Amino acid sequence: MPRILLVEDNEMNRDMLSRRLIRKGYEIVVAVDGKQGVDMAIEGGYDLILMDMSLPEIDGWEATRQVRAHPKGQSVPIIALTAHAMAGDREKALAAGCNDYDTKPIELPRLLEKIETLLKGSPA
Amino acid sequence: MSPRHYTAVPPRQAALLRLTTAIAAARDESELYQSVVSGLHDEGLGYSVVAILLVDEVSGDRVLQAAFGWPDVPPGFRLPPGQGLSERALADGRTYYTPDVRNESSYRATRVSGSEVDVPLRVDDHTIGVLVVESAETDAFADEDLEILEAAALQASIAIGRARLLETERRRADERKALLDTVAQLSGDLELSRVLESVLERAVTLLRVTGGEVAIYEEETQEMLVVASKSIGKESIGTRLKVGEGAMGTVARTLEPLIIPSYHEWLGQSGQYSDTMVHSVMAAPLLIGRRLVGALALLHSDPTRVFDEDDLRRLNMFAPPAAIAIENARLYTVARRERQYLETLVFNIPVAIVTLDRNDNVASCNPRFEELFGYTRTEAMGRNLDDLVTDETTRAEALAYTQQANAKRQSVHGMGQRRRKDGAPVDVEILAVPILMDDEQVGLVALYHDVTELLHARRDAEAANTAKSHFLASMSHELRTPLNAIIGYSEMLQEEVEEMGHAEHAADLQKVQTAGRHLLALINDILDLSKIEAGKMQLHLEDFALRPMIEDVLSTAAPLVKRNDNRISVECPPDAGTMHADLTKVRQMLLNLLSNAAKFTKGGGITLTVERENDAGSGEEMVVFTVADSGIGMSPEQMDRLFEAFSQAEASTTSKYGGTGLGLAITRRFCTMMGGDVQVQSEPGKGSAFTIRLPARVNRSV
Repeated sequence: MPRILLVEDNEMNRDMLSRRLIRKGYEIVVAVDGKQGVDMAIEGGYDLILMDMSLPEIDGWEATRQVRAHPKGQSVPIIALTAHAMAGDREKALAAGCNDYDTKPIELPRLLEKIETLLKGSPA
Repeated sequence: MSPRHYTAVPPRQAALLRLTTAIAAARDESELYQSVVSGLHDEGLGYSVVAILLVDEVSGDRVLQAAFGWPDVPPGFRLPPGQGLSERALADGRTYYTPDVRNESSYRATRVSGSEVDVPLRVDDHTIGVLVVESAETDAFADEDLEILEAAALQASIAIGRARLLETERRRADERKALLDTVAQLSGDLELSRVLESVLERAVTLLRVTGGEVAIYEEETQEMLVVASKSIGKESIGTRLKVGEGAMGTVARTLEPLIIPSYHEWLGQSGQYSDTMVHSVMAAPLLIGRRLVGALALLHSDPTRVFDEDDLRRLNMFAPPAAIAIENARLYTVARRERQYLETLVFNIPVAIVTLDRNDNVASCNPRFEELFGYTRTEAMGRNLDDLVTDETTRAEALAYTQQANAKRQSVHGMGQRRRKDGAPVDVEILAVPILMDDEQVGLVALYHDVTELLHARRDAEAANTAKSHFLASMSHELRTPLNAIIGYSEMLQEEVEEMGHAEHAADLQKVQTAGRHLLALINDILDLSKIEAGKMQLHLEDFALRPMIEDVLSTAAPLVKRNDNRISVECPPDAGTMHADLTKVRQMLLNLLSNAAKFTKGGGITLTVERENDAGSGEEMVVFTVADSGIGMSPEQMDRLFEAFSQAEASTTSKYGGTGLGLAITRRFCTMMGGDVQVQSEPGKGSAFTIRLPARVNRSV
């Protein structure tokens, strides 16, 4: 069962997305802010990270950079979740080290497709 | 050396010689007459009673000019026709000797009453008067006396003739001088009533009349208005005469001069002059060409004086200068009014105006200029404008304005900051306009409009607008978070109830989700517009291939197109190539257009065309996207407001067709940001075609 780290500060979003993904057969571990997300990510053990971009403490872009900067965080796929589809957001996310991005509100089929693509491409 | 011998001159001859000398020395006629009577009374000649009477041409009376030995005769004494012995000499121009006056019935008895000699005074074969010499004794005159008196009369006549000739010449010279003075005054002084008064004054003096009037013709009222008056027996300035009324009204109608021998017996008289002492009148129209501008009238109040052709000739000399004066005054008044109008305008206008001479020095300025820059007119005059109102930082810019206006001979318009005399800055809108006269530049006029308050107001408005945009942006963000939850949970619930087989709830949850997504789209569009208006929307330019981008857009739009049973066809050459632009925004714009076309078309066709062309003006390579449909179309009125925010053709449209009403407003702003444009062609019932034109390589600086 693929293990996904969901970094999301909003409780409802976190609850909703984790429940939907669990029903689709994923194991979900949550982090509630950027700092916790980074700490958990570099501990390792996740097949993929879903990273919200607007987070308290440190935002998603900075958190991604820190994960990527760590030896243990260089290969894990990261999907950025942005509130609104703006070209700048996407570029910023990719520049920070994300592999893909998606916009909220989540359209589950689209997100699942992106998750599966990245999981298949992953050497693990 | 032998002594010189003088022959004694007989006393009477010596007296006659003295008389001749005195006559020759006389300076005018009255002195001449006095010399004659004094000379004949001289002790060498010794005539005790001597008089000279001249004929008054009008009355025929003999009027006493000078006398000796007639102590009881008053000055100006007149002998009417039929009285006195001297009339005979007048009748036939010969000398009469009456040895005993008492035998003569026509003799007018005096204290003298002896004998009398009457010698005619003749000038140019015309008897003008008579020399009368009397004695208290009868038979007092011998032949020698008659010869002496005839010789004296002859000399006096010659002298009178010469004096009169001189007087005529002098008068002609006076007339010429009066005319010259009048003309000189016309060019020097255009104050109409003063000029006309002066013309009238001269005419009255020169023609020796009692008085006169000048009237101007008013075209608006078609009346003659008296503007100058002299000695007519009442204050007549301001009197109005209808055309045809009175002497001046009559010449205004006939345009011919007129002599009226007796005004109060004249049928054309005006009641406005019934209480005056007018006796005879002479009037002439004042004309410019054949156009009436006024009338000039002269009058005698002396019943013994009447006007003749010579008076008319002289009156006519004054008519042209008076007419020219009136016309000049009219033109001058028109010009002065225009000038006053302009001056008033410049004086009162709330814009600082300054004119410069050819050397860019201040030639004039208005009160607002003084107020705006703090310089008085006197301080500013002759100074270089830029020295007055600029400092080191703005001088070059100001100089550029001046030079541009001077060099191109065109108005230059701009905004800038200038400095007051006290150093305080002032924000101004500047307009510099070259002054061209007959295609020659004679200077420059500069206008300064104080926009300090305007700028403050604009800065405030901009700040308020930015605050509003920030508010909208943050509100949109705050709104989106709970909305995401609504959409997400309804979607999740829908999945769950479907799995649990409660289809009836699934449909309701689908409605919640659709409404939520519509609300989200609205919020996202508002956020876009807010960002654009706050200047926070940025372009992310990248190279991308057109063909894949189009396919991506089509696949996204496919469900929308299918919903209304529309067919879509795409004309995009496989070698459409790449463009350098903001991919996300291009995609968003095309999706907007396609979703509109799909919404407003049912069971019809939608065409997306992609072409490349070179801009007709700049030659720049453009990519042109056209989305055409066979839908409901729009009226011209609807198209006018199409690209404004929240302007779907009717409020009802949104509820009927969905959509935010912001898509086209955003599309147009995105196009503008990328240096392109969007246009529409449409007809109600026949469909619409939207065309987006973008540079193939968007320049970031646009």
